[in-house]
Amino acid sequence: MIGHERDTGDKAQAPWKSPVALSVFLHGLILVVALAGWSWTSPDNPPPPSISARLVTLAEPEPSPVVDTVDEPDRDQQRQKAQEEEQRRQEQEAERRRQEEARAEEARQLQQQKEQERKEQAEAEREREQQRIREQQAAKEKAEAEAKERARQKAEAERREQEAARQAAEEKRRAEEEQRRQEEARKQREEQERLEAERKRKERERQLRESQLQALAQEAAEQREAEERRHQEAAAARARQAQMLAESEKYRALIRDRLMKAWYPPASATSEMSTTLQITLLPTGELASVTTVSGSGNTAFDNSAISAASSVGRYPVPEDQQLFEQYFRRFPIEFNPENMQ
Amino acid sequence: MKNRSNPSGPRHALLVVMMLSLFAAPVLGDELLIRITQGADAAIPISVVPFSESGQMPQGDKISRIVQSDLAMSGEFNPLAPEKMLSLPSEGSEVFFRDWRLLGQRYVLVGQVNSAGGTLQAQYELYDVSQEKRLVGATASAPVSASRSLAHHISDRVYEAITGVPGAFSTKLAYVTLERRADGSLYRLQVSDVDGKRARVRLESDEPILSPAWSPDAKKLAYVSFETGKPAIYVHELSSGERQRVADFQGLNSAPAWSDDGRSLLMTLSKDGNAEIYRMSLANGDLKRLTDHWSIDTEPAYDHTGEGFFFTSDRSGGPQVYHQASDSAGPRRITFGGRYNAAPRADSSGDYVYYVHQRAGAFHIARTHLETGTETVLTRTESDESPSISPNGRMLIYATESGGNSVLTVIAVDGGAAYSLPASRGDVRDPTWSPIVQ
Repeated sequence: MIGHERDTGDKAQAPWKSPVALSVFLHGLILVVALAGWSWTSPDNPPPPSISARLVTLAEPEPSPVVDTVDEPDRDQQRQKAQEEEQRRQEQEAERRRQEEARAEEARQLQQQKEQERKEQAEAEREREQQRIREQQAAKEKAEAEAKERARQKAEAERREQEAARQAAEEKRRAEEEQRRQEEARKQREEQERLEAERKRKERERQLRESQLQALAQEAAEQREAEERRHQEAAAARARQAQMLAESEKYRALIRDRLMKAWYPPASATSEMSTTLQITLLPTGELASVTTVSGSGNTAFDNSAISAASSVGRYPVPEDQQLFEQYFRRFPIEFNPENMQ
Repeated sequence: MKNRSNPSGPRHALLVVMMLSLFAAPVLGDELLIRITQGADAAIPISVVPFSESGQMPQGDKISRIVQSDLAMSGEFNPLAPEKMLSLPSEGSEVFFRDWRLLGQRYVLVGQVNSAGGTLQAQYELYDVSQEKRLVGATASAPVSASRSLAHHISDRVYEAITGVPGAFSTKLAYVTLERRADGSLYRLQVSDVDGKRARVRLESDEPILSPAWSPDAKKLAYVSFETGKPAIYVHELSSGERQRVADFQGLNSAPAWSDDGRSLLMTLSKDGNAEIYRMSLANGDLKRLTDHWSIDTEPAYDHTGEGFFFTSDRSGGPQVYHQASDSAGPRRITFGGRYNAAPRADSSGDYVYYVHQRAGAFHIARTHLETGTETVLTRTESDESPSISPNGRMLIYATESGGNSVLTVIAVDGGAAYSLPASRGDVRDPTWSPIVQ
């Protein structure tokens, strides 16, 4: 194909022999070859595992239009020298025949112009098609890229959303954790406060109790001391009482003996009869008064008792004034005979 | 020093004090009660001051002397002899209690007797020396011939004022005397004052007279007389001398005892072949047999209720005292001390039964407490028989031997001082004390 195009160019210096057209042609040829027989040049390549992998592979080896454009000027320059030499020879010849062919040429140029216009139109059309294809490809690529970008962005968005969700969840979890922690802290704080309050309350109670106990202990101690004093005083009093009682018992026995000798139970007396008298004495033992506290109901019996009590001229009484006052100033006498009918 | 040498001394002293204080604690107080449970074991000292007299006094004992003897006989009083008195007051204003107190007297009786127009008038006052208080102040009068009755009346008032028990000095005694003469024995049923004075023979018989018993109104005597040659029970009206033979059954007719209403007699009859206790209605002579035993049942005496009776029975082998609470009740043995206990007499309180008790060959008067069964021998004489209780329950008269003769002796029921009635000719037996008649 290339040779054919070179020949064509040398002969007519046609527009299609321009570097741009050649470059377009070459690129289209490469593209055709690539599309149609790529599989021949790479049979050993393993089949792509998936469609997506293949898309990536196809995209990689596509030559950049810029690279092709750099290689093309070297060859065009060589050809251009040759063509220029040819062209000066031909131009000399052509000048001689130009007259001859002026009309043909004119027709032909017109034809060519028309062909050229047609070709240019076709080329333009093709170029437009290529451009459209490229644009489609580019659009496709762009769409793919955009789709990919969108997918990426979507994935990114999703990732971000997930991340955001995760972060939100994390935030939520953290918030909850924080809340829980705060709640826990609050509870702990409250518990601590409660414990502190409880401790303080217990402390106050303890202090109160201690103060009360101390007061009680103090009171008990005072009571013990008072009790001890009372005991001592009571013991002394009892000792004194015992002494006085023992002393008084002697005089009571003497008085009893006197009264027994002075009492003449009447014939009507029985063991059920009882008369109690109240005796009042002077410190000398003389009888100050005798009164009946409770009678027997028998006049003779009561009289006998009163007479007995009254008949004792001087009662034996202790000289101890306190003893006398306590036991013998005033005392009761009961007359109650035993072994009477 | 003793305490100092003995370390345990103070401790012991303290222990004693504590024990004393514990013991004394219940009785500690403002007052200590002194309880007198026994009296003087002696008669009550009393001074019967000879009464001042005005007018023609009857012959014989003076009023105050009779009163003094009555009180002494009771065994409960110890009259002061007049010659020991520091003064002889005849009325209360003249009584100086201090003097009588110095003499240890408890009571003083003073009085005045005036005789005018055949009547004796006694004005008397009884004073409690200790209390310096007059207990009795009264005036009594009686015919000159009844001066003893006037004296006994004063004795009764004094006795009751001091003891609370009615006096029994105005009551009578009935008893039987036996005069052994060459031509035989003479039995006399006599009635006298309780001091044995003014004795009057109500019945004489050559045959034995036994078991006199006073009617409740003290107007009649029932007794057993052998005057017909065999024992019979008579009811003798003292004022008229009329006699009625109420029981003259074949065999034994003995031991009459009056019912409280005076309408019937308990008696012992053997008309049915064995000596049993019967009740006879004096209105119609109806009999009711109250005992039924092959042994001898005799000497019935009503108890204080007037429903039951004591009697002597040898159903246990020897004479013992039994009690039957009613006509239909079974007899209950009362005495268990000794082999011989007979002639029971009940007291008015229902506490005791008195009877003749044989101990160591001697016969004494004893009593048994009916509730406790406690037996007490009351006499020291050795041939005692026929006890009879004074109607006030305070004295007991019984017959005993003294100097070869039987005499009547009065003692207090609790065995106090004995007082023997003046001896009469011959033996005296079966004394019985009349009831108090208002």
